[in-house]
Amino acid sequence: MKMKNFIYIICSLVLISCEPEMDNFELSEGNADFSTMVAVGNSLTAGFADGELYRSAQLNSFPNIVAQQMMHVGGGEFKQPLMKNDYGFGNRLVLGIINGNLAPLPYGNDESAVNFPSIFDEEGPFNNFGVPGAKTDHLLANGYGVLNEYFGRFAKNINTSSILGDALMTDPTFFLLWIGNNDILSFAMSGGVGETITNIDYYRTIINTIVDELTAKNAKGAIANIPDVTSAPFFTTIPPKGLILNAQQAANLNLFYANRPHIQFSEGPNGFVVHAAMHIVDSIRQLTQDDLLLLSVPQDSLNAGWGSTKPIPPNYFLSKQQIDEINTAVYQYNEYLEGIASIYELAYVNINSLLKKAVRGIYFDGVSFNTQYVSGGVFSLDGIHLTARGNVIMANEFIDAINNKYNSSIPKVSVTDYEGIIFP
Amino acid sequence: MRKIITCFLLATLSCQLHAGGYQVSLHGQKQIGMGLVGTSLTMDGSSSFYNPGALAFMQDTYSILAGVSAIKSYNLFHMQGTLYEARTENPLSTPFYIYAAGRITDNLVAAIAVNTPYGNSLSWEEGWAGRFLIEEISLRAITIQPTISYMINDKFSIGAGLVYATGSVDLTRALPMEDQYEEGSLNISGSTSNWGFNAGVLYKPNEEINIGLSYRSKINMDVDDADAKFSVPLSLQTQFPANNKVAVALPLPANLDFGISYDVNEALMVGLALNYVFWEAYEVLAFDFETNTESLQDSENPREYSNKLIIRMGGQYKVSEVLYIRLGGYYDPSPVNEIYFSPETPSVNNLAFTAGLSYTVIPGMSLDLSFLYINGLEKEAEYSPENFAGRYKSRAFIPGIGISYNF
Repeated sequence: MKMKNFIYIICSLVLISCEPEMDNFELSEGNADFSTMVAVGNSLTAGFADGELYRSAQLNSFPNIVAQQMMHVGGGEFKQPLMKNDYGFGNRLVLGIINGNLAPLPYGNDESAVNFPSIFDEEGPFNNFGVPGAKTDHLLANGYGVLNEYFGRFAKNINTSSILGDALMTDPTFFLLWIGNNDILSFAMSGGVGETITNIDYYRTIINTIVDELTAKNAKGAIANIPDVTSAPFFTTIPPKGLILNAQQAANLNLFYANRPHIQFSEGPNGFVVHAAMHIVDSIRQLTQDDLLLLSVPQDSLNAGWGSTKPIPPNYFLSKQQIDEINTAVYQYNEYLEGIASIYELAYVNINSLLKKAVRGIYFDGVSFNTQYVSGGVFSLDGIHLTARGNVIMANEFIDAINNKYNSSIPKVSVTDYEGIIFP
Repeated sequence: MRKIITCFLLATLSCQLHAGGYQVSLHGQKQIGMGLVGTSLTMDGSSSFYNPGALAFMQDTYSILAGVSAIKSYNLFHMQGTLYEARTENPLSTPFYIYAAGRITDNLVAAIAVNTPYGNSLSWEEGWAGRFLIEEISLRAITIQPTISYMINDKFSIGAGLVYATGSVDLTRALPMEDQYEEGSLNISGSTSNWGFNAGVLYKPNEEINIGLSYRSKINMDVDDADAKFSVPLSLQTQFPANNKVAVALPLPANLDFGISYDVNEALMVGLALNYVFWEAYEVLAFDFETNTESLQDSENPREYSNKLIIRMGGQYKVSEVLYIRLGGYYDPSPVNEIYFSPETPSVNNLAFTAGLSYTVIPGMSLDLSFLYINGLEKEAEYSPENFAGRYKSRAFIPGIGISYNF
């Protein structure tokens, strides 16, 4: 009987030792304290995707991924103001098929409006202070929740709370700060109509205040820079010279614009006709390769003659001059952010450089990514915000920067653990 | 006793050999027992594979052998910078050999060899992080080699064989396109055949010493019309025709082997072999699809293997008239390029130990047993074109059994 047991033990030892083993990844918090982490920013920080803030996308937000990984090195709980379901406020897009082509379609509506009531008393305080739509100075605005329902629903006090104020109330030991995209993006997404780029001097002052307050109690953190916003598919998907004509159509349009000799059509691809400025009848021109046409152009309007006989309104494209203004602002913002990171000894997360690599195409764990709409895998269906895998890429970039700066060893995440775009 | 046998079987079933890359060197239980040293040995018909030049010196008139090994292998992967770990669930693979040799005249021996010198059988755990590179792969090659060997004088013999190789490939990888139910996948399967040769010489400067040199040619396995089965979301099926064909080619590399063995006394024999494998032949793994679309382009995946020298040592001790025991070992460095290290052939540097015995059941007939343990040393590597990096380690347990009849 004893012999039997002995044999079994020997055998199981043999079996166990069959499997090779290796030393694990060595974890370390380095010289940072991740016990209370807050993420402060806009829709990108919130986990907004596919044109909406919805629950499953929030769970994949890059700050949540970073926080889960920080838990291996002393990080605490990371609470997000989660929506109640995957409808959000009803603007979510999902990939479908129209006339045999892939196209973003409405996902459905939130009939019960369950996502509107304030959730602070029930679920707060939170750690993710990403607020869709927030510009840099909105972080400091008291009562911002009244203006922005995304903040209103999780503000401590909708009438008095500021985003930064609520964040500071949690006494963060570490913060992720990524703010300034909307200061440029809202101008870009509106074709420069009704929006302006936040003045660089003003931006500097606000950023300085925010970082000052976040670090007042010696919190450490990471600050991310601003990507070239016009690299996003929202700006690059519809070709500005996408008006494809046959010889007859070109001849007809040339006749139509006979009194505007600067507008010329030929067989093949032509620049869409646009109104270069609102209310000025004679500002009609054709787009060139240097312009950008926005994904917001209604597709059915394009089919109904927009861009040919009917000039496209100015809120749907960016001129070369506008693009230059955008690029200059991105450059100036980033110059300042890098300086701030250095002065306050923060990890500097170079999202701008990462997106430039993605434009050329980049692999992670055997999956290829680029910045094309839908097929690129980085950007979700709204062409501005990230997919789950895009969020993993972002989270890993934050982790790399933090590990470098604070000599910590936070493990990264594989993109293959998260979903890509769901095709019909 | 039954318990012990059950346990041994369990251990066998639960515990592959990569002799570097996808070469397998299990071609005789006696040679396996002594570190896979075989180029200079003249024991029996297995020389037709190890060194056709040595065959004419086989001791008997006829030699018939058959054997099989059971490869149970384990691979482990740790993704760089993460806590992610994955293991393989490799199926048991069973390379085999059959040799039949007969003396036609005093100086001339003819033989036929059937064996499995190349193969790879790997199955990573379901849903693993490297699934977009490889989920499962099975390479099999069986060679049939008619051989003749001629003894020029009592010191020198030569031999050569024509090698007919028939092989198959079956691989599956996931595709990063998913619908609400599942991820896409691609399965490629096909088979092909080609010819090569095996030639060698044996030199016996005296009764105690054997020196052998042999060369096995490269054989290109070009699978021109493998089936390429795509499974993708409905909306993408026009981009990935479900039943496509693909041309894929894999070289079976050439080998130059040198061996020397020495009879220390009546009972003890020791040997050394140097095995140079021309892995440089494996430069690229190319997929040439019959139907290309905007989304489905041909691909060239760099492999850039390098030539490697395997050092083998072993010995045999005659305990009694009916019992021989053997021990050996070898070091087999990985031919895989460190920056093109794909998890489809995660071949690391291998340090192997072997043991074996032969028991004469009836005069002329012996039962040959061997056991090979391969310790794949930890290696940090990456497949840089697709940014897949981490540490790899492997282990393999290979018991083998064979029977030989010499008369």
